[in-house]
Amino acid sequence: MAELTLDSVTKVFTEDDGNEIVAVDDVDLDIEDSDFLVLVGPSGCGKSTTLRMIAGLETITDGTISIGGEVVNNKPPAERDIAMVFQSYALYPHMTVKQNMSFGLEESTDMPDDEIDEIVTDTASMMGIEELLDRQPGELSGGQQQRVALGRAIVRDPEVFLMDEPLSNLDAKLRASMRYELQHLQEELGVTTVYVTHDQTEAMTMGDRIAVLDDGVLQQVGTPLECYHTPNNHFVAGFIGEPSMNFFDMDVRGGTLEGESFEYELSPEVEQNVSGSDQVTFGIRPEDIEFRPNAMPTDGHDFECTVDVVEPTGDANNVYLAFDEDVEEEQTTFIVTVSGMQRVESGDKVVARFPEEAIHLFDDRTGEALKNRSLEDVDSVDMNV
Amino acid sequence: MSQQTAADSDAGLPLKRIGLYAVLIGMIVFYLIPIETGLMTAITHPDAYTGGHPYLPPAPGDISLQPFTNAVDALGQGMVNSVILVVPATILSGLFGSMAAYGLTTVDWRGQIGIYMLFVAGIFIPYQAVLVPLTQFWYNIVPLQDWVEMIAPMIPFFQDYHWKLVALIITHTAYGIPICTLLFRAHYKKLSDEMVEAARLDGASIQRIYRRIILPLSIPMFAVVFIYQFTQIWNDLLFALTIVQFGDAAVVTQDLVGIGVSQEGTNFPLRMASALVAALPTLLVYIVFGDKFAKGVTA
Repeated sequence: MAELTLDSVTKVFTEDDGNEIVAVDDVDLDIEDSDFLVLVGPSGCGKSTTLRMIAGLETITDGTISIGGEVVNNKPPAERDIAMVFQSYALYPHMTVKQNMSFGLEESTDMPDDEIDEIVTDTASMMGIEELLDRQPGELSGGQQQRVALGRAIVRDPEVFLMDEPLSNLDAKLRASMRYELQHLQEELGVTTVYVTHDQTEAMTMGDRIAVLDDGVLQQVGTPLECYHTPNNHFVAGFIGEPSMNFFDMDVRGGTLEGESFEYELSPEVEQNVSGSDQVTFGIRPEDIEFRPNAMPTDGHDFECTVDVVEPTGDANNVYLAFDEDVEEEQTTFIVTVSGMQRVESGDKVVARFPEEAIHLFDDRTGEALKNRSLEDVDSVDMNV
Repeated sequence: MSQQTAADSDAGLPLKRIGLYAVLIGMIVFYLIPIETGLMTAITHPDAYTGGHPYLPPAPGDISLQPFTNAVDALGQGMVNSVILVVPATILSGLFGSMAAYGLTTVDWRGQIGIYMLFVAGIFIPYQAVLVPLTQFWYNIVPLQDWVEMIAPMIPFFQDYHWKLVALIITHTAYGIPICTLLFRAHYKKLSDEMVEAARLDGASIQRIYRRIILPLSIPMFAVVFIYQFTQIWNDLLFALTIVQFGDAAVVTQDLVGIGVSQEGTNFPLRMASALVAALPTLLVYIVFGDKFAKGVTA
């Protein structure tokens, strides 16, 4: 087992016409021994390229990658003591499951055949695929192939596991159970793991820590709840969380924020945070908005709204609200999450309250967070978990 | 509703069907008539052959297997030479083509497109343009004949004149590599990159990846290439005339040219029987590799 360090790692692709594309820009990451780090970001953000550089499948333009304190920049993939699970599983279609799992040990070690056999059989029974050992990948379901791909990686007993969207080809139900199983397995084996995904649910639920990447630049590294409650910037705030945080563009007028649909009074402490900006993005999570049916507004943080659309998910309702102040054509809608037991119908008149302790403010130009949600009102949240 | 459509199709289809089958039968007759004529001629006794209606079966008294036995006798040596030529040339061109395609497609290196272009250009070099250089090369530049004469006594069944077949094998292999490379490259482009990367991560070298992953996955494509190359090389006359010219090393196509031709006239039954005998191996190859071939072209 080993720690994995990325120091100012940069990847520049040069296109045929000489254009240079920076895929990964100066990324620093420290992944401790037996840590589970999730690398998350939208498609094309450079997360897969980063993983492939760690694997040795892409060259590193600049910076260093070290595994267990040893720089591996110039080592071929086979000598890095890593194992990778691919999105397509990448099983060898002409070999049986057993041959697939033995291949790595046969090629990279001098282990005698009976020892390889024993390791493969043990791993297969741990993964619950021992009855599939003599079948070929084409005869297996997607979930079974996924297990074989994982088993093939585990057999190698590597220092670092690299996983490139391994669950994205599974159906939703299987994905949820594999998520749990993978975490469990990683804890048991204690192997340092880097897991790439574009799915923020996987990022939130699986990682000890998550690293959010956008456009090749590392946006934030932290525990899932740190990224959720105290995002570094507008991008992280919008990317983490489902449904996504509501954003409104506002002008700063002293202690008041003026937007197209509403004005918002700031307390003196918060006013100080925004004093350096003319324009800010106002953000609030759907579950932080207080939803009051049949109520009247009491102060400047309450807004009269009409229910536009209700999306029931069973345990909760995602309610789209429109400000009553807006003119009909240019209505701004935002999402509030309310309990699934609450009866809400389209056209209902309600009051939505944006509590000041729950709001996030981001500088409009840099996107940086000026104020994040204060967690003083919720002492039950332990951000380090 | 559904009953009505069923009735419609019942009424409409027979006419269409009849038309379709008429065309199909017409085409079968069109394509099979020459072979049928050849076969009927080949089983007629040469003395009874008139050339009047060659496609009709001979009269029972005129049926004879003599043309076939004569053909086998006359072509025996040529058939053996052809097999000595075709089997190694087919396997070598397929194998080298597959290796070249692997190196040019699956392995990544600078300048591979340029090299690949040279391979493609190789397909378009006309045979006629290389005939004189080929003769010069094998007869005046490379002392292949001397080498073969030196080692021939050490190998059983290996005769001095076989040097011409060795030259022919090398020539056909070289000429077949470009088209084989093209065929294999199309196949290798469809293989998953991630699978090859997984093998690299598993510690396999470039050679090992070829042997353990790429080669086993190429079997359907090998069937396609083998059938194609076997037919090409078996049927070739031009290179054989250029390199073998005459003598003991003549291949079956060379023997076929002059068979049954004499001053008294042409022995058509013998010529037809010989043509059928000479074509038999290509037919066998199609039958043996047929199902793999179908997999290869549809893969």
